[in-house]
Amino acid sequence: MQRYTINIIFLAAAVSLVAAAAAGLFDNYILTVLMFMGINIIFASSLNLVNGHMGEFSCGHAGFMCVGAYVGSLLSVVFFTSNKFFGDPLFPPEAAPFLFPLVLILASLAAALFGLIVALPSFHTRDDYLAIITIAANYIIISIVENIDAIGGPRGFSGMKRTMNVMGDVIHLPWMLIWVLIGCFVCITVLYRLVTSTYGKGIPAVCQNEVAAEIMGVNTNKVKIMAFMVSSGLAGMAGVLYAHVYGYVNAQAFNILKSTEGLVMVYLGGMGSISGVILAAVAFTLLVEALRFVIPAANDLLHIWGILPASSELSQIWKWVIIPLILILLMQLRPEGLLGNKELTHVFPRLRRWVSFK
Amino acid sequence: MLTVTDLKASYGKIEALHGISFHVRRGEIVTLIGANGAGKSTTLKALMRLKLPECPTVTGGDILFDGESIMNMEAHHVVGKLRMTLVPEGRQIFGNLTVVENLTLAAWTNTGDTRRNLDHVFGIFPRLAERMRQRSDTLSGGEQQMLAVGRALMSKCSVLLLDEPSMGLAPLLMYEMFRTLKKLNDEGMTIIVVEQNARIALQLADRGYVLDTGEIVAEDAGKALLQRPEIKAAYLGG
Repeated sequence: MQRYTINIIFLAAAVSLVAAAAAGLFDNYILTVLMFMGINIIFASSLNLVNGHMGEFSCGHAGFMCVGAYVGSLLSVVFFTSNKFFGDPLFPPEAAPFLFPLVLILASLAAALFGLIVALPSFHTRDDYLAIITIAANYIIISIVENIDAIGGPRGFSGMKRTMNVMGDVIHLPWMLIWVLIGCFVCITVLYRLVTSTYGKGIPAVCQNEVAAEIMGVNTNKVKIMAFMVSSGLAGMAGVLYAHVYGYVNAQAFNILKSTEGLVMVYLGGMGSISGVILAAVAFTLLVEALRFVIPAANDLLHIWGILPASSELSQIWKWVIIPLILILLMQLRPEGLLGNKELTHVFPRLRRWVSFK
Repeated sequence: MLTVTDLKASYGKIEALHGISFHVRRGEIVTLIGANGAGKSTTLKALMRLKLPECPTVTGGDILFDGESIMNMEAHHVVGKLRMTLVPEGRQIFGNLTVVENLTLAAWTNTGDTRRNLDHVFGIFPRLAERMRQRSDTLSGGEQQMLAVGRALMSKCSVLLLDEPSMGLAPLLMYEMFRTLKKLNDEGMTIIVVEQNARIALQLADRGYVLDTGEIVAEDAGKALLQRPEIKAAYLGG
């Protein structure tokens, strides 16, 4: 029974969320925030596989999200919508809700292939040097996308909203929320099953000591390829969802700032802790959204108190001062993150009565 | 069984082994002794075909295992196919994994019955069974060394390479460790051991090689080497 508690809780939560959204209990804003929470969970926990479990420092993770976003958007437009560039839809519109997983899978595979850009150099390079390669990978991907005019180049690419509309016409449901929830479930299940399997134990082994891993018969190169590809594939899935929630993609949305956001979530949650990173992704999304209201409020207060002259204003840009500041404080006060490398069930042993993490 | 001819290995531009040759017969205990920097650990890493960035590059010579060259193999093949494995210097266990997780990692080589291999290792080191679910970085030094050897045994190896198994062990534990090695050898395991503590290594070994700055300078039966005055003076403290 304990084995299934998490699945049951997740299913119940997902069904009630979808039902509430379908009944129109959420306004558009809350719905969007919920979906971004899910996307951030996928993005951060996939990064956690490389940075947390495998102990490498990847800081170009958004690049793979970019690949997923563009490939997914392109496929969804070609598959389900008529477009002056690509002509009539490839599949009948009624099939859209059933064939959308195909888009998710293909785009993830494409992103996983790009993961090789980092995986192959990782055989002979590690630590700081590999980190630089990951940044380079991020820029390579963005530059490629920006220079292909057929997909909009620097202007970005849109048309995915129509796919969503097509799906909504078939069955009226909050489809995007459903896909995000399914994506989260797939992502967490894949990661969890991977790191607890004997095969996946090769990942922490590589992290701790590659020599020792090799002499245990672990093929370290294979483990690295696998981990980087799974990680970037899942990031690609996050990208597809992101593109469809927004209805528009632009390569610059996946620059180093986005990668940094992922890093913040991983370090906030605790490296190598799946539940910690999920919590951190939720907390981070809420924090960013809360700042949307806190900053104008602070602005008003400062004006009322006369601290800030009337000519100057506290803008939303301050978000990018406050968030890094939180990271600095976190590193000072709790460098291991919320949960360290432990899972929730280790921190609260009583949970184990209800939940088995195996 | 294992024949090394004219093996040369280097770290970057610095050559650490200048062409050493030796052989090991099945069922033997062979020891390599020598001062720091003589090339003992380098030899073991070269034998294991480790190719990671911090490992030496083999620049010449040949290693034959049962008559076939293993120069094109990777370390995980050496473990998986030849059943030869290494207990590295300083243990190098996986600290953030539990004892049993450390051991079951060996299932990577698909040696069939993990359960039975576990029982076998716990039979040799009952202490590890008591500490099974404990994180391995919380073990004492001696227990960690047991785990390192136990982990190697999990891959059902027939050739065991040990790099400084006595390092950091109290004398009593050290003797116990060497007794265990002798017992494994009696059961048919071929053992190659690199040691700083030349006296205990030579007492245990059938044959010994003395390495000095990347070259083999002496070779004889272990007991005979113990008697040689120049070895006594250089490695046994007179």
